[in-house]
Amino acid sequence: MRNANEVGNVAEIVSLAEGVGRLVHDGDMVALEGFTHLIPHAAGQEIIRQRRRDLTLVRMTPDIVYDQLIGAGCARKLIFSWGGNPGVGSLHRFRDAVQNGHPVPLEIEEHSHAGMANRYVAGASGLPFAVLRGYSGTDLPRHTDTIKQITCPFTGEQLAAVPALNPDVSIIHAQRADRAGNVQIWGLVGVQKEAVLAARRSLVTVEEVVDELEPVPGQLVLPSWAVTCVAEVPHGAHPSYAQGYYERDNAYYEKWDSIGRKRDSFEDWLREKVFTMEGAK
Amino acid sequence: MSGGEASRAEVAVVAVAELFRGDGDTLVSPMGLIPSLGAKLARLTFAPDLLLSDGEALLVTADGEVEGWQPFRKMLELIVPHGRRHVLMGANQIDRYGNQNISAIGDHAKPAKQLLGVRGAPGNTVNHRTSYWVPRHSRRVFVESVDVVSGVGYDNAAKVGYSARRFHDVYRVVTNLGVFDFATPDNRMRLLSAHPGVTVEQIRDATSFDVDTEGAGTSREPTADELRLIREVLDPEALREKEVPS
Repeated sequence: MRNANEVGNVAEIVSLAEGVGRLVHDGDMVALEGFTHLIPHAAGQEIIRQRRRDLTLVRMTPDIVYDQLIGAGCARKLIFSWGGNPGVGSLHRFRDAVQNGHPVPLEIEEHSHAGMANRYVAGASGLPFAVLRGYSGTDLPRHTDTIKQITCPFTGEQLAAVPALNPDVSIIHAQRADRAGNVQIWGLVGVQKEAVLAARRSLVTVEEVVDELEPVPGQLVLPSWAVTCVAEVPHGAHPSYAQGYYERDNAYYEKWDSIGRKRDSFEDWLREKVFTMEGAK
Repeated sequence: MSGGEASRAEVAVVAVAELFRGDGDTLVSPMGLIPSLGAKLARLTFAPDLLLSDGEALLVTADGEVEGWQPFRKMLELIVPHGRRHVLMGANQIDRYGNQNISAIGDHAKPAKQLLGVRGAPGNTVNHRTSYWVPRHSRRVFVESVDVVSGVGYDNAAKVGYSARRFHDVYRVVTNLGVFDFATPDNRMRLLSAHPGVTVEQIRDATSFDVDTEGAGTSREPTADELRLIREVLDPEALREKEVPS
């Protein structure tokens, strides 16, 4: 079931449009991961451009990348633990969708950070669920039906069980891949490895495809066989940053507040910055 | 705030710093400006062994210099099961037993206001010490009953029993008006100290539930050295005054 790599045994190097077109389908459960650093923004916008619908979006910390997808009407459900514009405030498209059902209603499945991370770990490990102490005493089990009580068979302690996350497709951004599709990530890493290993299919966008991956201290390597497709997308994490390539564009995050705040300014942005790019890649 | 006179924001920074007195080698995760100023002040003065997180994924010194990494994986593998941690979170709503809401205002499925989400609160509150920072103490925040329990308060931890109570430690709440704790027989919130210039009546008026104010003192004034550190080293641009106007 996991790592089925429907396309083949090793990663194939494709264009971004082809990768999204081939791997992301209407109705899929899609995870875009990367915390603060290496957020796959270009891939998110390509999903909008290809007009995918009814997606279940998964992400520990939905920020601008999901505000854009939600505002464009790509999602019917969000699985998350924090949704905001980091350092700035709220995500207005996300709030409009939850509070007013605009442009389409958005169902939410809310978890804690630890719950999300452990759900990915369970998914990547081929286990059906994860166990946590957190959630005891909160209202979340009443609102989120993927939190159940479980009794420890050894101590009798009451704990929370959360089911594995196995996205249909996980998408991450990394610094480099080689021509065989081995992926190299360094700097701050969140749950990207778990998200890719838990997924049925995966797309990794990279700053560059190189002949050989020179080792970097603290690196994480995802072997080619764990990845379905790799696409070279320079600046694919902008406005977040890619260590060794570019800095975070803090002004963009601030500007997003005014773009995302109103439906019409968001529609203008979609038209000018996403749809007019159609066929460009 | 010229001369020796401390502003309300400066009193709040010191009240936050006092949260960490005696914590020893604890990882402190302060969320927000005044929380991180307070944690840094504590480290520069009476709590030199604190490990400070930047609220995201780095460990920093009081000067903001990076001294380590703390991505999700490290938190889960090292800090939560083996380390000591004290988190200072915000609260959109908080009640008399310290239940905190940061998820949604109104019905969770169809909220009047979708907030940022529960984040680490469900795990923090049942795994290690947690305190709260509220920059604008009002009846909208200090409510009779929170809409979505995100961080666990004393009554709910007691209802669950061992699993939630084992490490449960909601320590204090610091606001722009005063400092509160839960050290009462039934763990109801009580006023520990009102900030200088704030009356008990003012605090009662800004709180929806009945808060025990008996025996409350006055929050201490910053020392001259603390004022110098706050004004010259930690926050020379005085951003603190925007978070808590005097």
